[in-house]
Amino acid sequence: MPGSDRPAEGIVRELPRLRQDFDAALADVRDSEGLQEVRTRFLGRKSGELTLLFGRLGKLKDEQRREVGRELNTVKQEVESRLEARRAELETRLRDERLLRDRVDVTLPGRVPPVGRRHSLTVVREQLEDIFVSMGYEVYDSFPEIDDDFHCFEALNMPPDHPARDMQDTFYLEGGAALLRTHTSTGQIRYMLSNPHPPRVRIICPGKVYRRDDDITHSPMFQQLEGLVVGPGITLADLKGTIEAFLRALFGAEYPVRFRSSFFPYTEPSVEADLGCVVCGGRGCRVCKGTGWLEILGSGMVHPAVFEAVNQRLGRVVYDPEEVTGFAFGLGIERVAMMRHGVDDIRLFYGNDLRFLEQFHK
Amino acid sequence: VKVPLSWLREFVDFPAEPRQLGEDLTFVGLALEGLEGRGSDAVLDLDVTTNRVDCMNVYGVAREVSVLYGVPLRPPDFSFPEAGPPASEALEVTIEAPDLCPRFCARVLDVRLGPSPAWFRDRLEAVGVRPINNVVDLTNYVMMEMGHPSHAFDLARVPGGKLIVRWSREGDRLTTLDGVGRILSGRVGVVAGTEAALALAGIMGGASSEVSDETRTVALEAAWWDPLSIRRASKALGMHTEASHRFERGADPEAPPDATARIAHLLAKIGAGTARPGLIDCRPVPRARRATTFRPARASAVLGTPVAEERARQILAGLGFGVKERPAAWDVEIPSWRSDVGREADLIEEVGRHVGVDRIPSTVPPSRGAEGLRPTQVATRAVREALVGAGLTEVINYSFVSDAEAGPHAPPRLRLANPLSEEQGALRSSLVMPGLVTTLRANLRQGRRDVRVFEMGRVFGSTSHGPAEEPRVAILLAGAVAPHWSAPRGTADFFDAKGVVELLARRLGAGPFTFETDGAPGFLHPGKAAVVSFGGRPRGFVGSLHPDVSEAWELRDETVVAELELEGLTRAPAAARFRPLPRSPAVSRDVSVVSEEGIPAAEIEARIRGAAGELLKEVSVVDRYVGPGVSPGQRSLTFSLVYQDPGRTLTGEEVQASVDRVVASLRAAGLEIRGE
Repeated sequence: MPGSDRPAEGIVRELPRLRQDFDAALADVRDSEGLQEVRTRFLGRKSGELTLLFGRLGKLKDEQRREVGRELNTVKQEVESRLEARRAELETRLRDERLLRDRVDVTLPGRVPPVGRRHSLTVVREQLEDIFVSMGYEVYDSFPEIDDDFHCFEALNMPPDHPARDMQDTFYLEGGAALLRTHTSTGQIRYMLSNPHPPRVRIICPGKVYRRDDDITHSPMFQQLEGLVVGPGITLADLKGTIEAFLRALFGAEYPVRFRSSFFPYTEPSVEADLGCVVCGGRGCRVCKGTGWLEILGSGMVHPAVFEAVNQRLGRVVYDPEEVTGFAFGLGIERVAMMRHGVDDIRLFYGNDLRFLEQFHK
Repeated sequence: VKVPLSWLREFVDFPAEPRQLGEDLTFVGLALEGLEGRGSDAVLDLDVTTNRVDCMNVYGVAREVSVLYGVPLRPPDFSFPEAGPPASEALEVTIEAPDLCPRFCARVLDVRLGPSPAWFRDRLEAVGVRPINNVVDLTNYVMMEMGHPSHAFDLARVPGGKLIVRWSREGDRLTTLDGVGRILSGRVGVVAGTEAALALAGIMGGASSEVSDETRTVALEAAWWDPLSIRRASKALGMHTEASHRFERGADPEAPPDATARIAHLLAKIGAGTARPGLIDCRPVPRARRATTFRPARASAVLGTPVAEERARQILAGLGFGVKERPAAWDVEIPSWRSDVGREADLIEEVGRHVGVDRIPSTVPPSRGAEGLRPTQVATRAVREALVGAGLTEVINYSFVSDAEAGPHAPPRLRLANPLSEEQGALRSSLVMPGLVTTLRANLRQGRRDVRVFEMGRVFGSTSHGPAEEPRVAILLAGAVAPHWSAPRGTADFFDAKGVVELLARRLGAGPFTFETDGAPGFLHPGKAAVVSFGGRPRGFVGSLHPDVSEAWELRDETVVAELELEGLTRAPAAARFRPLPRSPAVSRDVSVVSEEGIPAAEIEARIRGAAGELLKEVSVVDRYVGPGVSPGQRSLTFSLVYQDPGRTLTGEEVQASVDRVVASLRAAGLEIRGE
């Protein structure tokens, strides 16, 4: 039956054209709608080109139908897998396009939360406090800024008319004997008078002080940190070791420390500590006036007259100079900050110009 | 003090180069300030501490050098020829004020006035003294060499050859050598003739008896003046001279005879004249021997290093102390030139500085256990950290303010008796006003617009007990909070400042804070200001600056401020107690309440809390609405009510029952509930 061969051949003969058409159609697809059109054109349930070919299988004999059917199924699977691949490809491209559309200019400025800073003097003061707390010191900072002659001068071995008072031109309040403390040494006296565990003392006293001076190295208000250690057997060697330890902690071990004799009315012996110049490293420069050293603090062994004045105010001998000794030291917080940051005018610290304050990181 | 090394070598031989010598002297307390010239022309500039008046001269430094290197000290040559009639025939000295002048020595010199020789003038110039004529130069030379000031009167111009030492009298007048006519009032010591004052004792000579080209005979004075008298007089007169500087710090009471002898010696040496025989030495008050004890063991204990007794003796003897060694406690006589030394501690310093502070070992005092910051100090730091974290920069203003800028609203300020200027005439009573406002204005003038600052410090006022001070914290915000290109520029308003205050309450665990409009400072906007209370009383304020104040201070944007007492804020409760985490979920309901603008949100919130019952955990305002649906003059506030029972899950019915009670209560108060 030659006629019976023809339908099978007809189906098979159409396949190359169908493949060609499918290739062309798939190549033209640009989006998911286009992809759906191609799917419908070839695999549509009613009139898909491949579906129609499957419909013609019914006219074939069993044997031919199985053979041609297998061939059609192969083509169908191929079409389906290529449609799926194309769909995945399209999806990827679409997502990439969408991500590309969402891109930002990463070089535009970020949204910075407001940035706050501690004052550079506070940074220094708190660091000093932390160093001394770690060495077992108590921070005594609640004593008054407005004080009187006894605590500021007399008890510190500076009786009226003492020439050392010239070094500290004092602000007085109107209508009374009250004055603004000229040094945090008042903390020594105030603490010893109210000491919770006499006669032992181990304190630092940070705070604002006031002197009638105003130029690039003097501010009428500035900050000091006083230290006082009292107890049996405290020596000048203890003073040296303590100051070396804290200067190392503050500036680093690379700067040498030297001690030389000096004079303060309330210490005897008095010694001044110098730090190897942080600007030139000790070679000599303008800042250290060619000496290679910077004065950093004054100190000494507590003068027996200070203990005697405190005892007298207390009405009994609490600090017997024969039983206890002590050392005291004082340094300027601005001086440390000026050395550390290379600031050459002390008044900048109190000008509150944000262009200055914002230069310091911590 | 300037020390030419060639001059120094007259008294001591030292085995060191100039710079080394300067550095060695630095360690014993004579700090090298500068070094001029080289070799034998070198001049040391030494910083002598105010107590060491004995080292403000070449010989005093030589004494330190001799101890420093253990080399002998050569005293100056005091020998001189005498000629003519006895001095006492030409000059008579009377001390009427022994409290002012315990000792007055004088010589009579016949002089040939003229310029000093070149070497002599060079030395004076090297130590910073301007040569004048040979007689004046001699007195200056000996002052720079031995430290004792003296004065030459033209004897022909001393009426009757009588010098009288007395306190000034009413009406005393004197033209001093600097050409200034002075009317002497109060207690000023003078050297007078029979009538008029001729010189200011220990400070400056007078023009009427000044040595001049015509001078042939000189009355040479070398006295010892009471330090306090000189100090008071020089302060009262506003005069500070080389002489007063030395006398007020305590010159050597035994030096006057030697000073006159040295001048007489040099007078002959430079061929400028001769001394008449005899020293006039008036000494109404004999000087008491000064001595103290020295215990080598005590020195070792204070210095923290064993001090060899032999070394201590060498040092003290070398410095001129009379040492009588006794077991344990030596008897030490203090030399007349060491007015700064009075007790054992001073001797320990003498020994310590020549043993060498750098040779003392370094130890640390034995530990007495750990210390920490006190709770208030920790809390104070927490306040600062919270504000820094909120983006505020710390500023520090002077405690001084102008009293004029206080304005009518400010509380009275403590005033300074001696301010540097009117602008710094009083002590601040507030951190905000004028401190932080000044800070803002200064930065605006620098072109800065967005300013977020805070300050922590004390304010001052007076109480019935006298002056008082109190630590506070204050903030100021102006301009944009965090300007960014992505959003329109907003400026800080009342709620930004209030938010920072609330932040502090939360960070410090303080509170609850209440905010009330009554009683806020007058420099604040009356409608945007509140008094902040906590712990049962007002503690500060928050608000916008009054527009009048902003205008007066030339401020630009709205400026918001707050100021709080630190006490209370930093006296926070001890460590927080842990509360177990709730095991059941929270339920939230929103209620929108329409009310007059004048009714405070806090009042509505209180009513909600009162009606809701125990299951209500939190209430917060989440929205404020005005516009269509709400009558003009009214606003709708949406409150979020959060219900929770830590132990069980709430049922819808019990939550609804609470919300119903809240709604009923609000309606009973005449408030309208939206969306119900």
